[in-house]
Amino acid sequence: MKIVVCVKQVPATTAEKRYTADLRLDRAAAESVINPLDEYAIEQALRLQEAGAVETVAYLSMGPESAAEALRRALAMGGEEAYQVTDDALAGADQWATARVLAAALDKLAPDVALMGMSSDDARGSLVPGAVAAIRGLPLLSYGAELQLTGSTARIRRLTASGFDILEAPLPVVASVTDQVGEPRYASLKGIMAARRKTLETWSLAHLGLSSEDLHGAALTRVVEARPPEAKAPTERVENLGPAEAATRIADWLTARKLI
Amino acid sequence: MSHRTTREHDELRAIVRELATERIAPRAAEIDAGSEFPWDLKELLAGQDLLGTCFEERHGGTALDNVAQAILVEEIARADATTSLIPIVQKLGALPILIAGSDEQKARYFPRLASGEWLIAFALTEAGAGSDVAAMRMRARHDGDDYLLTGSKRFITHGSIASLLTVFALTDPEAGGRRGMSAFMVETDTPGFSAPRLEHKMGIRGSPTAELNFDDVRVPAANRLGDEGDGFKIAMATLDRSRLSVAAQAVGIAQGALDFAVGYAAERRQFGERVADMQGIQFMLADMASQTEAARQLTYAAAASVDAADPDLAYWTSCAKLVAGDTAMRVTTDAVQVLGGYGYVSEYPVERMMRDAKITQLYEGTQQIQRMIVARQILKRAGVSRAAKPQRGTPSA
Amino acid sequence: MSDDICFLAEFDGGTPARSALELAAGAADLARESGGAAIGLAYGSGAAAGAASLGAAGASRVVVLSDTDGPAIRLAAAAAATVGDDAPLALLAPATPNGRDLAAALMGLLGLPALGPVRAVRIEGGRVRAEQSTLQGTVITVSESAADAPQPVIILALSGTFTPLEGGSGKAAVTTAPPADAGALGAARIVESHPADAAVANLEEAKVIIAGGRGVGSAAGFEPLHELAAALGGAVGASRAAADAGWVPYQLQIGQTGKVVKPALYVGCGISGAIQHRVGMQTAENVVAINKDPDAPIGEFADLFVVGDLFAIVPELTAEIRRRKGMTD
Repeated sequence: MKIVVCVKQVPATTAEKRYTADLRLDRAAAESVINPLDEYAIEQALRLQEAGAVETVAYLSMGPESAAEALRRALAMGGEEAYQVTDDALAGADQWATARVLAAALDKLAPDVALMGMSSDDARGSLVPGAVAAIRGLPLLSYGAELQLTGSTARIRRLTASGFDILEAPLPVVASVTDQVGEPRYASLKGIMAARRKTLETWSLAHLGLSSEDLHGAALTRVVEARPPEAKAPTERVENLGPAEAATRIADWLTARKLI
Repeated sequence: MSHRTTREHDELRAIVRELATERIAPRAAEIDAGSEFPWDLKELLAGQDLLGTCFEERHGGTALDNVAQAILVEEIARADATTSLIPIVQKLGALPILIAGSDEQKARYFPRLASGEWLIAFALTEAGAGSDVAAMRMRARHDGDDYLLTGSKRFITHGSIASLLTVFALTDPEAGGRRGMSAFMVETDTPGFSAPRLEHKMGIRGSPTAELNFDDVRVPAANRLGDEGDGFKIAMATLDRSRLSVAAQAVGIAQGALDFAVGYAAERRQFGERVADMQGIQFMLADMASQTEAARQLTYAAAASVDAADPDLAYWTSCAKLVAGDTAMRVTTDAVQVLGGYGYVSEYPVERMMRDAKITQLYEGTQQIQRMIVARQILKRAGVSRAAKPQRGTPSA
Repeated sequence: MSDDICFLAEFDGGTPARSALELAAGAADLARESGGAAIGLAYGSGAAAGAASLGAAGASRVVVLSDTDGPAIRLAAAAAATVGDDAPLALLAPATPNGRDLAAALMGLLGLPALGPVRAVRIEGGRVRAEQSTLQGTVITVSESAADAPQPVIILALSGTFTPLEGGSGKAAVTTAPPADAGALGAARIVESHPADAAVANLEEAKVIIAGGRGVGSAAGFEPLHELAAALGGAVGASRAAADAGWVPYQLQIGQTGKVVKPALYVGCGISGAIQHRVGMQTAENVVAINKDPDAPIGEFADLFVVGDLFAIVPELTAEIRRRKGMTD
């Protein structure tokens, strides 16, 4: 049984980020980490491997050269091999192009489960798992709090507005998991050292039998403007008031804004 | 970063920093307030293979170079000085074995030390023998093929929680400390050993500093390190290397204090402006930063000299410990100053960092001992021969 | 290719979800600008019966994809046929799991551009332009589909982005989509359903959210927050810390790995406002924070920051609000 976890390198949540002059995310500028939500997917895959349900855990990422860092960090957590799709034509790739490329790479790797995190931290896009499933013609098990594998099926437990559902589909599947999976492990020092010796293959679009034309030039959407958010009115602070007075002050504030 | 650090070093730093920020820093205040040894953090570090960095892979270690080991200690100390002592002392205790142990002795104990299953401590200092190591009184009497150790040690970090100790005692009291001292490995569950009291300290309060009693503790000859009489040499060679860890610790403490002071100054407003915009404060922060960086680079240079087995590595490590220790004290004191009144109260961490910093000027050779070592080296290089020391008990001619 | 604006309309038991009403209004607005029709794609139990009512919500016609419950992605083939034929200017989709998955499958099957979640959408020069808050709210971008990109552009919208019409009337013309083979996308099925004892309010649709964090201290500590929520007609949410501690069910978690909400009023009690929580609620229109710690990060981006003990202030606030609203016990 093989799982391929799709991993994206994104700017760290707390890092300073910006767009370049041609309105693309300046991926070099900020400290890059594994998309936090993908860490849960990695953790889920590794737990299944530890439980003996999965033999091979591999990683797949699409990004610039430096995205190899995210893959090395993933390999330091566990897993056997990693694959990176890098191509100049992919600069500024949007969700559809990403899904198209990942789908082609996943078809090549043919795992039992293509596993992803729920969404990515930078653009908060979340359409990649569904699109990959549609392109590959495979079932989708999304928003899983937990993934389970039996011989020929996959099951996820998904939290609903109240309670949870269990969804099932025959393998192979595309799946996405949420942070309910459990705390992702830290990479141990031995893991980091072992990661340096693990396979990391780089593929270009040509390797996948794709060309820039196939991807409509990598982006079906474009950013026409990037600006800082509107300056917010400064915070009104209320300090050193007794509870009853503070409550009155808040109620007045709400009334003034027609919220009560 | 220094030109001496590689991408692997930077990667290691990032990983340890993440761990330290998320898991160690939040515990620092309560470890200090409760004077409790952080067993949970010891397990965390052991689980991440961070206690085995000075051991070879065949013993279950990760054999990192000394620069990497310094970075590791620095990043942990930045979050909490007490916790940084866990990898520091694990190495300190093991150094005598690394230096003078046989392959069999190493194979016997290193796997458990590398995994963190056992803690090890270094028992050299006595009540009457601190800087003056040779004034040691603990005896190791022969008894068949064994030795019986009798005496007391004082100020032994982790002495009360270690499973193994490297202990120094006189096998030949007549020959005096320099030639009559031997080194032993002692398992602490041996009858006759006890750790009757712990010190109450200014800083590193979560680290147990113990008085150790040996009452005819039986040690087999197979646990002696090197030959009888090698003890003083082994102790000095150990300290020449272990003081590097203290330098790294001091750099980390200084950096932690500096980072906090900068963050505070950026938020605090007085007289209608940010404290960080006041030139007087900026000058203080600049001095703190440049001195910390200087201490850091010197520490890495010293680490590189140990890696290269330079004949004068002792000079380098002494310089590093001297500069870093004094820097840590100065930077943490200034950090308290930058915070003003808030720097004095335990709600903010800098007062703890200042209390923690002091020890780096005291242990593993006081700053005065470091100055003696450095002075001796530079005079030697200049061709100035050593003054004859008056012998104890002989009248001056 | 048309100037129509399509939207996904989720139904449950014959009633349209709030998202359906919001998107209908949004679609109607955009269709007025583009000169096309607002067309709903309805699915979920009772969709057939309820579809016509979307007329009052802003739709001119509705295509029913399915009348039963189930993962919406199984309807991708049916939706693709309708959307592919008409090729409208835009397709509005709710940022719910079902909405996202169905929209995602359409994006994959038809090779469509996609934007969102968006803060605002408008038609400019015949093209759909969407504003998004990206990089944890530090950069606002305006995007459009590329010149030669296919239509529609998929627009994901969080609840609260559009406002349902009030006082609308009329019925939409309803047709049924021709059946289509779902293929593998229909292979995932719900095999077990476990509703919880107490239904938990849908945070993503709440107009008022009272959120509790580490400062609340316990499950019982959430009681005053529930009272305040009841007085304001809102829902209770929580930070990750409170959910991890087991004080509230995970469905209430707001933040980077939980729900993203856009209420008109958000009141954070005992919440520090770390970035991981902030990204889940920073587009709330009005943010009030109550915290003992004067230096809590939430104090920097709240509209009103009250330093004090939430257990003393919240009950007083609840009482005051009830007084002003004339609520009696």
